[in-house]
Order: sequence, then C-alpha cells, then structure tokens
Amino acid sequence: MSNATLPAGARDPGYPTERENYLTNSSGILSWMFTLDHKRIGLMYLIGVMSAFAVGGLLALAIRLHLLDPNGWMFSGAEANNIYNQVFTLHGAIMVFLFIIPSIPAALGNFLVPVMLGAKDVGFPRLNLSSFYLWVFGALFFVTALFSSGLDTGWTFYTPYSTTTDTSVILATLGAFILGFSSIFTGLNFIVTINTMRPPGMTWFKMPLFLWATYATSIIQVLATPVLGITLLLLIAERTMHIGIFDPEFNGDPVTYQHFFWFYSHPAVYIMILPAFGIISELISVHSHKHIFGYRFIAYSSIAIALLGFLVWGHHMFTAGMSSLTTIVFSALTFTVSVPSAIKVFNWLATMYKGSISLTTPMCYAISFIFLFTIGGLTGLFLGTLATDLHLHDTYFVVAHFHYVMVGGTLIAFLGGVFHWWPKMVGKLYNETHGRIAALLVFLGFNGTFLPQFVLGSRGMPRRYATYDPEFATLHQLSTFGALLLGIGLLYAFVVLMVSLIKGRRAPANPWGGVTLEWQCTSPPPYYNFERPPVVGDPYDFHNLEWDAENERYIMTEPERKLVPESTPEEVPAHAGGQK
Amino acid sequence: MFPAIESLAMTFPTLLADKNADFWFPIQGSSFAEEVDWVYDLILYISLAFFVPMMAFMVWCLFKYIKARGTKAESQISHHTTLELTWSIGPSVLLVWMFVQGSISFLDMRTPPEGSYDVGVQAFKWGWTMDYGNGTFHPELHIVKDEPTKLSMRSTDVIHSLFVPAFRAKKDIVPGRYNYMWFKPTVASEQISDEALAKLKKQSEGATWDYDKVHTIETEDGERELQVTPEGYTFFDLYCTEYCGKNHSEMQTVVVVHETQAELEAWIKANSSRGDVSMEEWGELLYARRGCSGCHSVDGSKLVGPSFLDVYGSQHALTTGENQLVDENYIRESILAPKAKVVAGYQPVMPSYKGQLSDDDIASIIAYLKSISANAPTQPAGAEAESDEESAE
Ligand code: HEM
Ligand SMILES: [Cu+2]
Repeated sequence: MSNATLPAGARDPGYPTERENYLTNSSGILSWMFTLDHKRIGLMYLIGVMSAFAVGGLLALAIRLHLLDPNGWMFSGAEANNIYNQVFTLHGAIMVFLFIIPSIPAALGNFLVPVMLGAKDVGFPRLNLSSFYLWVFGALFFVTALFSSGLDTGWTFYTPYSTTTDTSVILATLGAFILGFSSIFTGLNFIVTINTMRPPGMTWFKMPLFLWATYATSIIQVLATPVLGITLLLLIAERTMHIGIFDPEFNGDPVTYQHFFWFYSHPAVYIMILPAFGIISELISVHSHKHIFGYRFIAYSSIAIALLGFLVWGHHMFTAGMSSLTTIVFSALTFTVSVPSAIKVFNWLATMYKGSISLTTPMCYAISFIFLFTIGGLTGLFLGTLATDLHLHDTYFVVAHFHYVMVGGTLIAFLGGVFHWWPKMVGKLYNETHGRIAALLVFLGFNGTFLPQFVLGSRGMPRRYATYDPEFATLHQLSTFGALLLGIGLLYAFVVLMVSLIKGRRAPANPWGGVTLEWQCTSPPPYYNFERPPVVGDPYDFHNLEWDAENERYIMTEPERKLVPESTPEEVPAHAGGQK
Repeated sequence: MFPAIESLAMTFPTLLADKNADFWFPIQGSSFAEEVDWVYDLILYISLAFFVPMMAFMVWCLFKYIKARGTKAESQISHHTTLELTWSIGPSVLLVWMFVQGSISFLDMRTPPEGSYDVGVQAFKWGWTMDYGNGTFHPELHIVKDEPTKLSMRSTDVIHSLFVPAFRAKKDIVPGRYNYMWFKPTVASEQISDEALAKLKKQSEGATWDYDKVHTIETEDGERELQVTPEGYTFFDLYCTEYCGKNHSEMQTVVVVHETQAELEAWIKANSSRGDVSMEEWGELLYARRGCSGCHSVDGSKLVGPSFLDVYGSQHALTTGENQLVDENYIRESILAPKAKVVAGYQPVMPSYKGQLSDDDIASIIAYLKSISANAPTQPAGAEAESDEESAE
C-alpha cells in the first residue's frame, strides 16, 4: 500500500484492512445469515445461482447424451420417454426460474448497484435479505417438488396438459410463485434505491449503463411478475376446482393460458437479457479504455426494450390459431424490439473503434457476447417473420435461437461480469491465461452445441422429442459433442476462479482501469462501500486515469471534488447500528 | 457400446444426403415451400450482410487496437448523432420489408381456396386418425398432387400440432375448437414394385412396420435408398410438434401424395370397408390403424391402457371397486364411452370413437379381441367367467 509511488494529485484507496473489509469485518455463520449488507447478500446469491446452474447444466448434459442416438442413448426401458420429458422440464424450469432470471440482477446487481451508485446499501436492506431467503425457500421447494414426484409439462406449463398430467404441477407452480415474490422484492428495492439514494452529482445521465439496465429490468420485474403469479394461481384453481378457464373439458380455452403465460414470460426474457446488455456496456468501455459510444441511445434503448417487451407476447402463438389480423399485428410489433437491440450492438462496436483494447478475460467474454448475441438476435428475425415462423416454430431452430440469446447472451455476460468484478468482490486476481483459455472453450463448445440446431430446425426436427428420425442423427451428435466441450469450458472457468481464492494475488482497487465508482473503493470494498464520499463524474471519462506500472494498477489523478457534498448526510442507515 | 461416435465418423456425408433436400431444408413438397424458402433466404442474406461486416469490423478492431496496458485510447469520442440515427433508421427499412414479405406469404397460407379437398384430422395422445368421409379412417394422410387440401383438425385431449416439414406447414390443434390448415402438394409419392414390396414384407414378418427404416430397393434406374409405407409408397414425414406428454416424439405419421384423384379414390376404397376379409382380420387391421395399439398391448405388457391379451371373458376390477366382466357390451361401451367404466390403475384418458367406427367395425374389433383371448368362451358371450387371477390385473 505504498502511496509513496503515486504521482502528485493521484488518488488510490490502497488496500483494505481486515476491519474495513466487508468479508472479514465480522465473522461467524450468523454474521452472514443475518447480514443486511448488500454485498454479502449478493455473494450468497452468487453461490445460490451458481449451484442452480450446476444442477441445470448436468441435466442439460443428460438431455444431450440421450439424444446421441435416435432411439435414445442415456435413458432406457419402458419409462425412457417419461424420464427424458422430466429431465428437459427440470432443466428448463431450473435454468429459467432459478438461474437466468435471478443471475445478474440478484447476484451481481445486489453487489454492484449500491457501489456503482455511490450509496451505502440498497433502499430496503431487510427486504433484500428476505428476497434472498424467499429465493432459497422457493428453490428448495421447487427442486424438491420437481425431483420427488416429477414434472413433465415443460417449463411453460401449457394447459390442458398441465391440468391433466398427474405429476406435481401444483407444488412446482407454488415454487415458481414464491420465486416470483423474490424477484419482485429485488426489483422494487432497486427502483427505490436508484430513485432515492443517488448521491449529489449522480444525475440520471451520470449513471453507469449497468444501472440503467438494472432499472429497466426492475420495472419489468415489478410489473410483469404479478401476472405470472396470477396465472399460476389460476392454473392451480383449474386443476383443483375445474373453474373452467383453461381446460376445454370445462369450457375453458387453453389459448387463454398461453396469452397469460407469455404476457409474463416474454417480458421475462428481457429480464434475462437487459442486465446482460448493461454488463456488456461496462465491459466494452472499460477494457477498451474509451468512452462508451452513444450513451444516451443505449440508455434509452434499455427503457424502450422494457416497454416494447410488453407488447409482443403473441409471437409465441403464431401457429395457435389467432386471427390473421392479430397475428400480423404481433409480427409487426415483434420487429420493433429488434431495433433497440441492434442499436446497442452498433454502439459497442463503435466503442471499440480507436480504443485501447486489453484482451482480458472479461473482454473475451464481451467479444463472444457480441458474436453470439448478434446471431441470437438475427435468428429472431426468422421467427418474427410469419411465413418462416410457421415452418420453424417449435422446432430446434427456436431452441437454438433462444439458447443463443439466453446462454450466448445472458450466461456469457454473467460470466464476463463475474470475471470483471471478481477482484472487486473477493479481493483476489485470477490467472488471466487460464481465464482466457476457459472463455475460448466456452465459446467453441457453445457454437458446437447450438449451431447445428439451426440446421436441425429448418430441416424440420421438432423440439422436445425424446427420440427422432435417423436422418437427424449426425447433427444431433455434433450438438452433443459441442455440449461436452461447453461443459468442460465452464468447469475450467469455475476452477480458475476457485484457484484464485487460494493462490491469487491481492487485487488493487482498480485492476482494469474503470472509471465507475466501484473502482474508487478498495477491493474488496469496506463495509460501507466507501471510506470517503466518492467523486461523481462522467462514468466513462477516461481522461484522468493513469497506469501505475510498478504496482500494476490504474489510478485516478487530479481529484475533482467540486461535486462532493459539504458534509456527509446526517442520517445513519438503520443497519449501521451506530458503528463507524 | 458407443455407436454414436462410429456413426458420426461414418455418416458425416449424409448431412447433405436427404433426397432432393438442400443443406437447410427438406424437399420442397408443397406450393408454400418455394415461397417460405425464398423468404428464409431473403432474411438469411440480409442477416449475413449485417453479420459478416460487423464481425469483420470487430476482429479488425481487435487486431488494430489491442494496446499495451496503460496506453491511452486514440479517441474519446462519445457520440455522433447522425451516425446513430442512420444506423437506427436504416435497418428498420429492411425490417419492414421482411415483415411485409412474411405477412403476404402468411396470408396465402391462411386462406384455403374454395372447394379444397377436405380431410378431417383427429389428434390424440399419441397418434392421428384421418377421416376421409363415409366411414373411412386411416392413420396415414393420403392426398392428391396439385390439389389444394384442407385439414379440419380437432384434438380429443391436449394441444397437438400438425407439422409437415416438406410442406413448410404447421398448425396447432387445440382441444375445444376446430383449427384449419391447408396446402397444395406438388410432388407425388412413388410406389415401389409389388415384388420389391413383397420382399420387404417378408423381411419384416411379425414385427410392426418400421416407417423409419431405410431400404435398399432395386428400381429401373438402379438401387435406391427409400423409406416406404406398408403399401410401398414413399412419403413425407408428419410430426406432432406441440409437446403432448410421454410419447410425443412417437406421435408421427406420414403423408402419401397420389398422382391422380382416381388413384386416391382407389386407395380410399381399398381401405374403406371390410370387403371379404374375415372379421378377425379386419378387427386386427382397425386395431393397428385406429390407434388402439398405441395404448393397449396384445402381449400382456402394461402401456397407457390395459393389455388385451386374454382379456375377453375375464373380470376387470374398475376404479369404482366393482368387478366387470369383459364381454361384448362392455367392449362396445368402452369404445364409445371410454370414461364410463375405467379399469382400476388407469387414467380416464381414452378418446371416444363415437361416430367413427361402424357397427361392423366394432363387431370386427370384438371378434379380434376374442381371437387373442384364451378366456373367450366358445358359447355365446357372458355365459361363463372363471379366471379370477386375470381380473386382479
Ligand atoms: C433480447 C433478445 C431476445 C431474447 C431474450 C429472446 C428470447 C427468446 C426465448 C427465450 C424464446 C423461446 C421461448 C420458448 O418457447 O421457450 C424466444 C422465442 C422467440 N423469439 Fe426471441 N429473443 C430475443 C430476440 C428476439 C428478436 C430480436 C426477435 C424478432 C425480431 C425474436 C423473436 C422471437 C420469436 C418470434 C420467438 C417465438 C418463436 C416460436 O416459438 O416460434 N426474438 N425468444
Ligand atoms: Cu402431440
């Protein structure tokens, strides 16, 4: 912590001491379980969603191994098809409800939102902790329900299959219902935090884009999730009391269920991808050491996506038999969402232009994100176009499309984010070479898995098939080998992170050269995030950043404190407990 | 042990080997196919026209601007409104084009021409019954080349979806309502010679017919690899593509396209009535053809429904706790009103065949069931009912 080597006027918080550091300032399991510190909650969420991802991932491998052979390789016997159906349902439900939706907002968001904002914590720390426990409770409930009596409806619970199958639909939907509350609490908390806890100087347009993305996501979480809740309750009512709203046997209409379901779940896919956009904006700018290009367009496009996302649910039902007019209107609306997504990609590319790019591990993920997400978005055009969707709907083309978006997009951004903020979160640096090799394996494995599925789909291979016609075998096998490689890559990435905890070098406050506020506090941050109120400026202004080669870190020069408040606000947050 | 690796190595070239198919698509079998493929290609080329330059630009940036750590960026430009407006509005024009093209073709695909040939389709877990009118039902879809064909579809249980990749046509079948679709096939099925078919029949003696099996068949123009129906027609695959439970992936049938109307009519006639085959044989045919075999075995194994081995003349325990003698009346009732008396241990999932099987059909099925039961009395039905062990099943 030799501030002696700093040039005149430079600021660097140095390294935290044991007492300042949020990880070690109090110890014991209870200090974690009852913590109100958003950073600890974020870290616990991180462990949670990664465990969920591991379970979902193993199920995915089981699916792919089963499809090695046209008649099914992995599961055998009279119940092979049933097992397969339950496995893909488990995989989808766990990945969607337990991993992708909470991954970035709840794990990274909880850690980052207050720090990037320059706040001490989220608006409602207790609500935050309860959102975590709701997630844990919901997850345990959900997984027990799924594994004990099985569920074979697919993650979409389409009626009337879901009202008639004798698997545990009610328990699973209750689980999803609880998880929905956890999601609403997180969203509510972020909205309040961002609206009310910005420090002086942090105007809306001085907010890092990750915060814009989180804000847009939170709006969807709060507005859309209740619809899912209601839908699931109606589904339970239909199953138990035959109220006759979804089940044709009691004069219900199954398509009504689809409208309700997608009215939540389409916006939900934007809950999954918007935070990823936020992460990528940060990564590209920081690792190119250049001002993000078109800040306002990117910020507005997040909000536009959040709002337009509510208007396009019907595109999941083009073949269900809506009226022609409705169908065409939904198709037109669907295309409107692609514009804001495209704008973002162009802006990221323009940010790289004339930058000073460091090909770090997070940057590797950011680049794969651009590649994969662009494919995901462009293939959406084939599905938004009516004539082609009639052919491609419910085939592997759709499977490939949404995996390019969800896995190639969200998961990759999540990994990029984890690698980017890892030194900040745990105070350790990982091995860059190994980090990059893992990123490359993930990229190759992912394409190996899902590129062949586009061809499978356009050739007519239906989705959710436990067995298939022999002419599709080669492509399925390619996909399975890709999945194995992807699995190896992900495991490798995980090992790189774990090894860093044991052998990693101590991380400086600003290892990459970021200008957003989280790089102004120590790594890991102190309990209240900042020793001194941070200096709020343009989050992408790299002018005052200098590389300190001797200590391998970036430092800010010329402290500009003109926007700092005269004194720190009087109120001490409730959880501060009088401590300094 | 690991057949997949071997076949991967061996069959890689078959990626392109489908008959008449190109890399992306199955054969173009209907008038929609050309249109859909055209729109697909349009989007594909527009997408590539964006994707390739964008990725090239990104890689070029990586080569050009990867700098040592600490190097300042060449520029800190933060926006360029004209450029941004251009790339927001420009692509939108192309999107409108895609949307319009897609919608035009879609409207074509939604509007069946007047006087289309109408086939009724009934989807159930997990099979298909096509209704050709006048009491003719068959699991295969038989239609005529160049004749617009309309399917009037209903489902007896959950949502299914009818998909013929070669026709680029798909529509969900939602229980509680009729859904319609139409297409005009443009490529006729071929029929292999009687000798060749006889040979295949002999090979598959005893087993159920495997539609997926690829046969090597001698034709005038040399040996060919073909999949054929039990009647020797080549066909197009027809899939269910809305997840519908356990055997969703087995819910497949085939489309046979006849060259002429007369040929189709001959086929319908040949399948329409019992003719001079015996009742047992006709019953056995219907049993396979009308989807009974999908849920009921004849070898004693338990599928979705009870097996029919030795069932006629035995006692069934019902869900109500009562016992029921399996006789002619009970079988007839179970076919027409399946939910009235449900055997213990099974779900009431069987669809009703009311109005779909003639009296003669039902009598034939009963005759067939009698023929596979050791309990079937030689005297008139109902006279005796011994075997109590069976009834425990
Ligand atoms: C932000 C990016 C996107 C996300 C997160 C996303 C996500 C998804 C997901 C998860 C599904 C599958 C849902 C399921 O059936 O299980 C899906 C399907 C679909 N997506 Fe996207 N997508 C994105 C971009 C696009 C774009 C840009 C378009 C069109 C211009 C599009 C059009 C469609 C359509 C039409 C379907 C339904 C396809 C079908 O089932 O036939 N998507 N998307
Ligand atoms: Cu089906």
